[in-house]
Amino acid sequence: MMANRIAQAENVIWRRIGDDVVVIKDDGQSIHVLNKTAASIWEMCDGKCGINEITTRLCERFDVSFEDAYADVKEILEKLIQTGIMNQIEKIRGN
Amino acid sequence: MNPQANAKHISSFKNHTMRVQIGDICCAISCGDISIFDGLQKLFNNFLTDQPADISIELSVSEQLSPSEMEASLSEMRYIHEGNHFLPTSRIIASNYDLANRTISMCIERNPGNPGLDLKLLNQLLYLAYYSAWKLRNNGNPRALLVHACGILHNGKALVFTGPSEAGKTTIANLCREQNGEVINDEMLLISRPEQHDSVLEVRGIPIIGGHPQRLNATAPLSCILLLKQSNKTRIRSINRTEAYLRFIRQIITPSYIGLIDKRSVLSLMADFTDEVTGTIPIYELEFSLDRESLWWEIGKLERALEGEDIK
Repeated sequence: MMANRIAQAENVIWRRIGDDVVVIKDDGQSIHVLNKTAASIWEMCDGKCGINEITTRLCERFDVSFEDAYADVKEILEKLIQTGIMNQIEKIRGN
Repeated sequence: MNPQANAKHISSFKNHTMRVQIGDICCAISCGDISIFDGLQKLFNNFLTDQPADISIELSVSEQLSPSEMEASLSEMRYIHEGNHFLPTSRIIASNYDLANRTISMCIERNPGNPGLDLKLLNQLLYLAYYSAWKLRNNGNPRALLVHACGILHNGKALVFTGPSEAGKTTIANLCREQNGEVINDEMLLISRPEQHDSVLEVRGIPIIGGHPQRLNATAPLSCILLLKQSNKTRIRSINRTEAYLRFIRQIITPSYIGLIDKRSVLSLMADFTDEVTGTIPIYELEFSLDRESLWWEIGKLERALEGEDIK
């Protein structure tokens, strides 16, 4: 299942450190590091964009086809959601 | 269990008061038990001050727990707030605070095997007082944060060795001889936040008690930070900013203060502080063995490199 719009969880704070993003849950117990690609995706997850828009914007930034990028974006988003630092705003499409 | 309700109080706090400097904060400590008071005065000798108090700690002592209850109570305390009471997870203490009068009152169980105050408890009291005073003065935005670290003053600058318990902070202090520098503190330090973008970060000694007897009431510019890793060899290696960030943020003493805690603000403060420190100060990993000579030779080499290159 992949959400149409995706947003950063409200219970986290994050900082960009060089190419990486460090995400800290506000219980202070867990810290996650996102690499360059995941960090770029993270910053696009503003609650207004879905996977298609994020993938398109990522393709503009990196020299990669939409099809290849889509698979990576989907995998990363699923991991971020599973970790609890990203939320699905509305689910409109099942995979 | 409410220790206050049943406590047999054997001292009151009103008789003796000292004022202790913790960075920019002055904390008044009152205790009616003369033996504990005298012990505290000796421990805090370098940090006694006549400044007006920002916050007060009133200590009273009780004897109510059995030896087995004492044993069970020695696990680390957590500050849990219920109204104006806190620390219910410890069976040693009952405590409450009065925000209007800037006072923290504590009833402490006397340990029959150790009639002095538990030093870990005392340290917790000091940093609770420090952050609480800043909460009252500046809404929780201190000019400096407490960090688990050993500081060595050398050539007018502070070398900071940081790492979790058992990482070797006290070992570093014990390996320090006169020619290597002076121990500022082997357990905890205050590191300032930059007041302007290009301002120098400073290290300040505090009265927190560690395993080394020396505690300097001194301030010095922060030279570099070494993240400790015990090893069978000695070497210093560069680490990337993200690794430095992740390892340093875990060594900050989480600001805990009286009153309602805004966890998000506290974490934001820690994240910003870590960003400032790791973006300003050279940070390395120090693998070290117990070979004093190789340790200080490597550190000397690093100091010369930093002086020459003015890294970062």
